[in-house]
Amino acid sequence: MMRTIEVMLVIIIILGAFMIASFFAVLPSPREVSPLNLRRLALTTLQLLDSNYSLSAAAFVDEDDSSFAEVTSQLQIALSACLPPNIIYNLTVYQVLGENSSELYSYKWSISNAESLGVGSDAASYLVASSNVTFRVTPEKIGERGFGGTLYILNCSDAYGWWVTGYTTHSLAQDLYNLLSPYFKTTVMVQNTTDLGKILNGTSLQGETVQNAVIINTCGEAVPIPSGYYATQGYYAPRDSYSLYCYILGQKTRQFNWTWVSIVGYPLYYVSNIDLFPNNNNTYGIYGMKNVGPAGLNAFLRGLDQIDYNATWWNGIQWKQAWWQDQYNNWIYVHGWITQSLSNPVYLSPEALYYCNYYGIYPSPYQTSTRALNSSVLNLYHLNPATYVFNPVGVWVPGAVYKHVFPGAANITGSLFALGLTRTPDIRLTVLGLLCAFKPRLYRSEYTAANVTRLVILQLGQAGGI
Amino acid sequence: MAGSTIDHLISVTVFLGAMLIFISLFNQTLQTAILYQRHSALATKCSDLLDNMLLNPGIPEDWGKSDVTPVGFGLQDPEFTQYRLSPFSLMRLRSSVGEPVYYPRTGLTYSNITMGLGNFLLVPYSEAINYSAVAKLLGINGTYGFQLSITPIVTVSIEEIQRKNPLILSVKVTGVNFPLANAHISYCLLTIPIGGGSGSYPFYTIDYGTNFTDAQGSVPLSFPYVKQEVSYVFIVYAYLGGLMGMGYYEHVTYIGSYIIPFIDDFAEGRMLIAHSYDVHNDTDTAEITYNATFVVLAEDFTLRSMSVENSTGKLTYGIGWPYAYVTIPKNVRSNPGILVITYRKSAQETGVVLMPWGISSLAFPVVFGGDPTGQEWVATDIRQVTVNGVAYQAKLALWSLGG
Repeated sequence: MMRTIEVMLVIIIILGAFMIASFFAVLPSPREVSPLNLRRLALTTLQLLDSNYSLSAAAFVDEDDSSFAEVTSQLQIALSACLPPNIIYNLTVYQVLGENSSELYSYKWSISNAESLGVGSDAASYLVASSNVTFRVTPEKIGERGFGGTLYILNCSDAYGWWVTGYTTHSLAQDLYNLLSPYFKTTVMVQNTTDLGKILNGTSLQGETVQNAVIINTCGEAVPIPSGYYATQGYYAPRDSYSLYCYILGQKTRQFNWTWVSIVGYPLYYVSNIDLFPNNNNTYGIYGMKNVGPAGLNAFLRGLDQIDYNATWWNGIQWKQAWWQDQYNNWIYVHGWITQSLSNPVYLSPEALYYCNYYGIYPSPYQTSTRALNSSVLNLYHLNPATYVFNPVGVWVPGAVYKHVFPGAANITGSLFALGLTRTPDIRLTVLGLLCAFKPRLYRSEYTAANVTRLVILQLGQAGGI
Repeated sequence: MAGSTIDHLISVTVFLGAMLIFISLFNQTLQTAILYQRHSALATKCSDLLDNMLLNPGIPEDWGKSDVTPVGFGLQDPEFTQYRLSPFSLMRLRSSVGEPVYYPRTGLTYSNITMGLGNFLLVPYSEAINYSAVAKLLGINGTYGFQLSITPIVTVSIEEIQRKNPLILSVKVTGVNFPLANAHISYCLLTIPIGGGSGSYPFYTIDYGTNFTDAQGSVPLSFPYVKQEVSYVFIVYAYLGGLMGMGYYEHVTYIGSYIIPFIDDFAEGRMLIAHSYDVHNDTDTAEITYNATFVVLAEDFTLRSMSVENSTGKLTYGIGWPYAYVTIPKNVRSNPGILVITYRKSAQETGVVLMPWGISSLAFPVVFGGDPTGQEWVATDIRQVTVNGVAYQAKLALWSLGG
């Protein structure tokens, strides 16, 4: 009998344990077991309603506005129309007050289709900005960290441009200034060839740093030439050629580690100075300009690569013909004409396309290139394409920033950015190429600016059932 | 001694019986808890999987616009973020509800998302992505089954009140069981006037307009210039507070023979135009001529028609030239739109068929995946998404195949 009593006691204990365990081990309700993700549903509903900024517009309407009733009515209709019938909601709008206020948010208004959302509700928040907001973007200045930071824009009033059809060098320079000056520590407009001569001497114009500067030649295929020292030193009398000036430009680019920018066509094909060449024209009737031909770029590359000027005739038969020499004074180096006219359009490189979005610059993604440079020739002069602006087509490179590095050297000694596109130049491509090469960062202002941001919270619950 | 033994036997018996009862009770509780846990895990997996499908464009990103087989599955529009789906990727999913169509002239079977006579979307199986391939790409092959439904939120239903003199149509816009009052509507009426002589290509006129729905979400529209009974197609886009939907209605005066468009090449934007007899073996074998145009929705919610390559032609059944090609021009191929093909047998016998280029253009629903019927437990989750601006609801049903 004793054992039976003991067993009964054990049963009572186990029963008690079972009841206690059952009491505390509460199983979730069926709705909680396999829940609808109300938080995600709320978020996607808010995103849907704001897909055409309708929610943003509605959130900024206040209760005392005449359109408040209509706007909230439309919002209620839209909410009821897009949510499943068993879903009840409460949408509340708050004003974001910002850091200077004691409160972060203040209540504005709310709409709902039920008095209570029950116990099983969930919510999502969504920030909307007023359509009046303009977000400030502060670019990083090139040269703030490291070297350089000076941008020279050749805006020489005493030189003409070529292949800048439809623009003047001044208008191009102004556009470049507007687009690029926020990204450089110092931007200097070089107003005449005399100032250009000073820069070539390494003399600062406004206290800026000459070393590691970027020089944009806005004269297209022509390059301004100072009348004095450089016109004398840059003139090769035996062949009546100013390719020697281009050679000096190459030397200076190497010496000061400049980035020389050619915005369109064949770089350094002409030299221009109104006072120096009053009676010379570029064979197309533009006076104040003299033809250098492909010798200009070849000489520049030789100067950049520290090879002797040592001019020789190119041995191509057609170039030896007397008519060509006489008519075009086409005195050239070994490689002669080193560009190609590409029959198909050329396309922006993936890197350039990425930076189009980053910097908000949207030129046409495909262009016509008639002066694509030969990469094998550039390799001979130790120029490496560091940034492709356009995709290369075989050995032909329509647009890229090349960095000159001597074999075995670690440091860069000059750069060339050549856009071998046909006229008329799109200056945005020049800007895009430089920004691709230097990659200055953009610091955007904070999204939660005071009084221009509202917080919309959509709380969803399920009606009926358990 | 005997009493002690009896006591022992009774107590042991009672104890064992009680233990068995308690073990079964605890076991039941534990099993229920495990089952709940599994169901909860399934719901979590469902939510994750749905986001996984909707928040990445797949690999390659533009697989919806090309003929390649993706190596990563995703439906997000690569040009956008958030829950914006590519209308072209959705078009390449093999429908799990439509009866496949076999076209003997090409020898191919086509996935069928046809929404009634005159509204076709037929994608060759060779170009459509199937359920098992997607399950493998998602890493759930053999472990979970799913069905993805993409359904338009806004329904635009059109009813013909009066057929002629004038043509009167009633447009009703509703959401999920709720009318869209004061919704802005933008419409396009394409009519095929009677006349033009036998054998010529069907001529059509397009009329555009806008209006608003009333408090019941309805609006009657009258077209006084439609004096006689003609074939026409009426396309409507409705918009309210971020919700956009669309609807369409066709009336044809001849249905004996008609045009059936098939997708031929996604990358090239090429459609194959077939004679209905060759597909369905109907009784009517009449020769018909056709005229195709491509209609796109502009950013201001108005419709614009664009010309297509090889837009006109003649179709005979079975012999001669059984099908033709229509190609959407390259410059508009990346935009969703509607291919409108008018056809005619005679001056009085005409018709029109539609085919969406991009699933959202005609707000076609998509059902993709397996059949959840008969599964022990099916978890579901939903998201609100847009497909080229048209509001859709994406619903995923997920079940375990592991027993």
